[in-house]
Amino acid sequence: QAPLFHLLVLSMVLETQALTPTHHLTTTDVARLQAVLSQPFTDLKSAYYSVVGLSKLGILVADADETCQFIKSNLDPSSVESLFYAAEASQALSGCEIPVSNDTRDLLLATVSEDSTASQIHQSVSALSSLGLPLASQEVVSALKARISKEDNVLTIILALQTASRLSQQAELGDILEEIEDLAARLDDLSGVYLQFEEGLETTALFVSAAYALSDHVDMEPPLKEDQVIQLVNSIFSKKSWDSLSEAFSVASAAESLSNNRFHVPVIVSAQGPAAISHSQPFLRLQVTDVLCQPLSSASVLVESASTSSSKSAILSQAPFTLRDEVFELNFMASQPASGYYQFSVAIAGDSRFVANHVELKVKVSTRVAINNMDLSVVDKDQSTGPKTTRVEYPTKAKAPFMADSHQNFAMAFQLVDETTGVELTPHQTFVRLHNQKTGQEVVFVAEPDSKNLYKFELDTTERKTEFDSISGTYALYLMMGDATLENPILWNVADVVLKFLDEEAPSTIQAKTLYTPKPEIQHLFREPEKKPPTVVSNAFTALVLSPFLLLLILWVKLGANISNFTLSPSTFLFHIGHAAMLGLMYVYWTHLNMFQTMKYLAIIGSLTFLAGNRMLAQKAVKRYTHKAGPQTKKLSKEPLAPISKNLFFLGATE
Amino acid sequence: MSNSVFSVISRFVEEYRSSTPNKLKVIDAYLLYILLTGVFQFLYCVLVGTFPFNSFLSGFIACVGSFILAVCLRIQINPQNKRDFLTVSPERAFADFLFAHTVLHLVVVNFVG
Repeated sequence: QAPLFHLLVLSMVLETQALTPTHHLTTTDVARLQAVLSQPFTDLKSAYYSVVGLSKLGILVADADETCQFIKSNLDPSSVESLFYAAEASQALSGCEIPVSNDTRDLLLATVSEDSTASQIHQSVSALSSLGLPLASQEVVSALKARISKEDNVLTIILALQTASRLSQQAELGDILEEIEDLAARLDDLSGVYLQFEEGLETTALFVSAAYALSDHVDMEPPLKEDQVIQLVNSIFSKKSWDSLSEAFSVASAAESLSNNRFHVPVIVSAQGPAAISHSQPFLRLQVTDVLCQPLSSASVLVESASTSSSKSAILSQAPFTLRDEVFELNFMASQPASGYYQFSVAIAGDSRFVANHVELKVKVSTRVAINNMDLSVVDKDQSTGPKTTRVEYPTKAKAPFMADSHQNFAMAFQLVDETTGVELTPHQTFVRLHNQKTGQEVVFVAEPDSKNLYKFELDTTERKTEFDSISGTYALYLMMGDATLENPILWNVADVVLKFLDEEAPSTIQAKTLYTPKPEIQHLFREPEKKPPTVVSNAFTALVLSPFLLLLILWVKLGANISNFTLSPSTFLFHIGHAAMLGLMYVYWTHLNMFQTMKYLAIIGSLTFLAGNRMLAQKAVKRYTHKAGPQTKKLSKEPLAPISKNLFFLGATE
Repeated sequence: MSNSVFSVISRFVEEYRSSTPNKLKVIDAYLLYILLTGVFQFLYCVLVGTFPFNSFLSGFIACVGSFILAVCLRIQINPQNKRDFLTVSPERAFADFLFAHTVLHLVVVNFVG
């Protein structure tokens, strides 16, 4: 028993959290839809969309005979598609008969097979049904099932559902009926608000009309939860202008099936105008319609509870709305609510098919405010003399200006009440504005209520001198009052106040706050090049650095370094030229080349120099050894001469 | 104390003059030249500033590198060290000296900017 009770409580809680449609068609949208479908048609397909679409909206085509003639003349009896459009359109028009031949009938019957596409099967079955020709329902069912198993895409299954709704009720439609649940599982839930197929709006709308058509046909409730139905409503009716005739047709079709089926009828509740009530406007008016904006006159609308947003105490409970001119209205002011915001919980009953029939509304009650007992006074700081109080009545201004200098305080006290009920009010904005007429300066203060809801404002000139920039003069005093629930916001020039500040603190000129003038231009500083030393210094040091070379030459001359051992042989010349060339290459590298080019040249010159140098050094080595060892001894032991023997071998090889 | 240092130095100089072969003296003169060049470059850097730093570095490294290579050449050529360098003939030492200098020059010229 206890779990049952919990389940009951849970279901009640869940019911109150049900979704309500956030998007729906307004009367202008329905009119736009009608206009789109009423465009003059150019071919049989557009004629079908227009005629059948308008019939779904409950509108009959104006010139039925002309349309019928158009259909008959554009009909191509050899095409199944053409027959489908013609048959469906003629069915929507009254008194339009399409002549059918035996060939036509055979063509249509032959199309019902596993090999035709789902679209072809749908078209032939619908044409046969509209033209009143007999068809074998079981064959159709098996063809459809075979088609679904071959092509599992969404549109195929939707067409199968549509087709099944045209078949005889004795046929085995159970398997196809189960497809509704599988398709519903394939819908994408977007942030809990929308439910649609990834193929788009048209597919979603076609799904809705097909699902309800079939469910009505077999009289079984479709497996769609209430929240899902509302999410589908949001998806389909969020788009208010349609790209193509077929899209408009699908939306009209979905709207018709959602307002006319046997199981789920979503209810759209909208307040007429802003949901605001005041003494001049005491009625809360609600429009209760279906998705096609047709009013649900059979409904009975009830306020389950109305409570203030803050205190949650119920003002109303179970109060019915009265129906007048297809609008439900309730005189809320009769309950004498205080001004503010109220949370209404409205229930729409009358038909078990209603979906989203619990609505939460926020209703604002406005009132007019009156200012009572506005007392202005100038009080001495040392309390030596009593305050001089002047009472001012709204909207007049105090006759004499008030003087306040550094020894006195200026004070203001008043009460804010509801004009009709006399209840004390505390609006959101109560400001006291002091405006210096000469300089244009203004200073705004906030007046605050005390515990007894009496508003007080005190101005101490010495304390507040920074706000005034110590500028003495005549200030006009304004009382500014506003609130969302006030119908009469107030701007009242109460009095003039002459404020005297100590003169030496006043600034000489008043600088207007220049917040939005152009700022000084920023000059970009390019990176300063590093400071180089003066040329004289660097030249001097260059000379200094090069001077040791002179020293070297002098020393070498002194030591007797000479080139007397210069052997005149081609390899010597080549070596020296090559060596000089390498040094020259280094200079050229510094000035012109990059590493890769240098390596290239270096490889060429270097190898030449190496070969020449090798030869030259070998010759030198031989000369040294023969000279040292004496002409008679040519002791060539292996080890010390290992590198030399290599050169000698080279030498021998060439000679 | 000071005169002993002085006498050591004068003896050293005397011995250097008499016993060092001429070839080595030539290389020593070269070493002195390289040393002075390096010192003057460093002096410039200390006195005037390190701009441009990469040029200073490359010049200084050239001096240091040349000094080291010349020292190597001197060691290898010195007949008193012949036992340590049995496989290296003076010509070979000179050839190594030239090759190493080529590489040093390449690097220095690359870096001098």
